[in-house]
Amino acid sequence: MIELHRVSKVYEVGPVKVPALTDVSFHLGKGEFVVLTGPSGAGKTSLLRLLYREELPTEGDIEVLGQPVTELSRAKVQTLRRSIGVVFQDAKLLPGRTVYENIAFVLRVTGTARREITARAFDALRAVGLSSRAQAYPAQLSLGEAQRAALARAIVRQQPLLIADEPTGNLDDAMAAEVLAIIKDIWTSGTTVILATHQARLARTLRRRTLMLEAGRLVKDEG
Amino acid sequence: MLGFVVGEALRDLRRAGRVAVSAVVLITLSLVALGVFWVLSFNLGRAVAEWRDRVRIIVYLKREPSPAEVPALMQRVRALPDVAGARYVAKAEALASLKRVLGKDAGVADQLPSNPLPASIEVTPTAAGATPDGAGALIQRLAALPEADEVAGGAEWVERLSHWQRLLATIGLGIGATLALAAILTVTTSTTLVLHARRHETEIMRLVGAPEAAIRLPLLLQGLVQGLLGALLALLALAVGHHLAAPWLEPLMSLTIGVPRLEFLTPPGMVTLLAAGAGLGAFGGWLARGRRGLA
Repeated sequence: MIELHRVSKVYEVGPVKVPALTDVSFHLGKGEFVVLTGPSGAGKTSLLRLLYREELPTEGDIEVLGQPVTELSRAKVQTLRRSIGVVFQDAKLLPGRTVYENIAFVLRVTGTARREITARAFDALRAVGLSSRAQAYPAQLSLGEAQRAALARAIVRQQPLLIADEPTGNLDDAMAAEVLAIIKDIWTSGTTVILATHQARLARTLRRRTLMLEAGRLVKDEG
Repeated sequence: MLGFVVGEALRDLRRAGRVAVSAVVLITLSLVALGVFWVLSFNLGRAVAEWRDRVRIIVYLKREPSPAEVPALMQRVRALPDVAGARYVAKAEALASLKRVLGKDAGVADQLPSNPLPASIEVTPTAAGATPDGAGALIQRLAALPEADEVAGGAEWVERLSHWQRLLATIGLGIGATLALAAILTVTTSTTLVLHARRHETEIMRLVGAPEAAIRLPLLLQGLVQGLLGALLALLALAVGHHLAAPWLEPLMSLTIGVPRLEFLTPPGMVTLLAAGAGLGAFGGWLARGRRGLA
């Protein structure tokens, strides 16, 4: 499902080279749930951005869903991204659209037939327990609800891979527990999940395979 | 997908607001300027074409040839290069013409002791012979005829009219192009504002793997709509302007350049104007390219 082989990423800020990841290798099988942890600035977000080809590695090879992401054409990158759901710490909902429209938007721009959009959007909303808030605007949602809406948007195309980058970072414990429960439900339905968090306690409560990054290096792979 | 692209383009137009309106106004102004000069140049062109057909060169003869000599002389004239046609005018016919011109004063001609008018040949040049250079060369050839006393005529003034026509077309193009450039920049600005306003949407679209067409086409389309709207307004303004100005200009035109009607743009001309507007807008939209989302 995901294979990283000796991957390094260095950002160049003017003349200064800032290493974000150094010699990272791991394999993630289909249907796994992996927690990517480590302190802020450890390289978690950089690693996730490499997986959905928002960035290219400086060195090394990456394979996602059987695709060598470093060698993909623009069209192939688009195809790859249609198979990946991504959730961020800030939900990134479009403020001028309702919850339903935010979810339908993703389906529309990826060419889903109009007659299927409503049914699929409401399926996703039901999966995150947000059907009753379909017509609410993002500003009218709590942080937890906004994150659940973002999750609905990420899974509405029933992608085989879900990447969640600090999805509970802005939430209190109760809301975080709700969101994690939903992510676990998504995983049990067959989706491979890679979840990044800097909250070590949270990582432990999940009791899943954990990859720990420190200063851009993979220092622990356990569970 | 088409519904999405059109919907987003209209949404983007609303977002651009006043800047989009400015772009439409500028496109209208540039096409009105272009259209005005186009109409004037087109009508002047008609006058030039008409007058070029009327160019004649007159060969005045030293003496009136006998009826038996005329066919051979005319045959030699018609055989010259750049001669489309030639007509022999006898002394008597020339006097009769003069009398017709004099009208009620024709009696003056009767007082003359003899007919002073020479016999002549009225030469119609070909299109090549109706240019200043062509006419000059033809005059030289006709003057070389042993029977020729004097050769009169030329195409300089037609060429002067033609020069004015070209000048008008160039001024029109210059003003139109300057305003068109401003229009393109305004469309680009309005599209850039739209791009900024929809940056979150663009980010999500790239993230979920939307095709580039879904991201770019609405921008192109909103530019095209602005251009088409500007062109339609320009066409309307030109039609109203023509309707109001024609009754005033037509007598003056008839008197000066001999063209009785101020013609409006032809249907292909109108289509070209609309296409130019749409093209200007689409080009402005295309110029405002968003950031590249793919590494």
